[in-house]
Amino acid sequence: MSAPPGAVRVAGLRKSFRVKDATIEAVAGVDLAVAEGEIFGLLGPNGAGKTTTLRILTTLLPADDGEAVVAGADVRRAPVLVRKRIGYVGQLGGADANATGRENLLLTGRLYGLTSAQAARRAAELLEVFDLSALAGRAVRTYSGGQKRRLEVALGIMHQPRVLFLDEPTTGLDPQNRANLWALLRDLREGGTTVFLTTHYLDEADQLCDRVAIVDHGTVIALGTPDELKDRYSGNAIHLTPDLPSSHLAGLARELGELAPVQRAAVEDEVIRLTVTDATRAMAAVFGLLAGRGTAVLGASVARPSLDDVFLNETGRTLRDTGVAA
Amino acid sequence: MESGLFFRRKMLESLRQPAWIIMGLITPLLYLGLFTPLLNSLAGGPGFPPGHVLDVFVPGILVLIAFGAGMGAGWPVIWELDSGVIERLRVTPASRLAILLGTAARDIVMFVVPGAVVIVVATVAGFHAHWGGLVLLLVLLSLLTAACSAISSALGLALKQIGSLAAVVTGTQLPLTLLSGILLPLSLGPAWLRVLGHLNPMYYAVQAARDLANGTTGSPAVAFGFGITAAAAALAIWWGTAAYQRAMA
Repeated sequence: MSAPPGAVRVAGLRKSFRVKDATIEAVAGVDLAVAEGEIFGLLGPNGAGKTTTLRILTTLLPADDGEAVVAGADVRRAPVLVRKRIGYVGQLGGADANATGRENLLLTGRLYGLTSAQAARRAAELLEVFDLSALAGRAVRTYSGGQKRRLEVALGIMHQPRVLFLDEPTTGLDPQNRANLWALLRDLREGGTTVFLTTHYLDEADQLCDRVAIVDHGTVIALGTPDELKDRYSGNAIHLTPDLPSSHLAGLARELGELAPVQRAAVEDEVIRLTVTDATRAMAAVFGLLAGRGTAVLGASVARPSLDDVFLNETGRTLRDTGVAA
Repeated sequence: MESGLFFRRKMLESLRQPAWIIMGLITPLLYLGLFTPLLNSLAGGPGFPPGHVLDVFVPGILVLIAFGAGMGAGWPVIWELDSGVIERLRVTPASRLAILLGTAARDIVMFVVPGAVVIVVATVAGFHAHWGGLVLLLVLLSLLTAACSAISSALGLALKQIGSLAAVVTGTQLPLTLLSGILLPLSLGPAWLRVLGHLNPMYYAVQAARDLANGTTGSPAVAFGFGITAAAAALAIWWGTAAYQRAMA
């Protein structure tokens, strides 16, 4: 017997799409393993291949190449087994808007093989936990965004799946509903469910996820706990606000980028962000250069790197440049 | 069993849209009330089969109801694509065939109920009902409804846009109905029109429907009608199931 397979194991996953005359490699050799009972996040800009990866893992898309084992079943060879063991909350949600919340839950339960009585019991339990009991008899069309999203997550866990997949689960939610959903997902993890989500929110990856894979152009460029990633890949960051018009910042950033301890320099929101190997040595070098060219400084700080710094370090771009929200 | 769950879901969807049900009942009655008087002056003329004008026209109305009940299936499919319902169902272990059959079963109900109303009203107005033949006729046209329902679902899944589906459905409706001899017998037309009619699967359903409504159950037209309609239904259901199975980009 081999070791327990974990919740998700992916090796050499590839998927290309033909668009007009070009071939776009959406997933270009992804490897990752997710342990049971963790919240795992795929973080990356739009078009990085997050959703395609998720769709392969949830049996919605066939991979061109590679292996994917989810909840102990092979996605290609035993898709029906995978479907029985996973839950899925897509970007579009997928609740039937003309049916009531309870009808949605009951149908879903029956489709997973629950009896009417079992489905009714489970639906009542979830409506209670997700604070939807008062709305259970109303058409989903009348639900608010947060209520609808809670129902959709309830639909995803109606059959107590081993792994719950969520595609951009908090997009479009206000901060309070977002915090509520995070709390629900943490509760699920406490109950032993593995949670696998995609996100383009840095704070979601950082605060909610136990481990994160940062993806770009269809490959995993960094994988680990948020803390590990920040320590391993980024060293430290210096944020600098020089007393210069913003048009001069890029030029200064280029000069600073040539200093030995500075790995990368980028301008963002009028601040020059430097990724450095050794903050103390770098500070001295940076201020030496600034004094030499007579540039005054309005503010300077050594910052704990963010996941964005990790991305910057690996790709030379910031996630914000790629349209990702902070 | 899963088909039953999807049938129930689709029935609830229909029952919650009373406007749809009312129009489904009124339209065929309008045909009876407004079109029959026009045909009255043609009855007995050249190319028109003998008998009461309703005996010729009622089977045609029933075919129209079956066609309409089935072809409506694609609209909610597109809406369900846009709202992610179909994607969510595809991640459940539910059989794709069951999703399609549940919808087809609902559409058959939406054909049989107004169809029965039309038969009763037409009988009062002078239609000579041959009950045994009519039962077979409802079975035949339920097959046609299922075929149209599966085609409409498959078209919805393939086209993904309401506008495209509307263009295809309304664009094919006129040639299909004219070339099946539903409204006016094809024998009134020139030879080339009759040849085109023979290429239309619905033509055979209409021919069989006319015989069955007459009480003629053993004719070659009936056998052809059942054979071709059943084959069309099987093909359409296979296509629709494949469309549900196919990966969506």
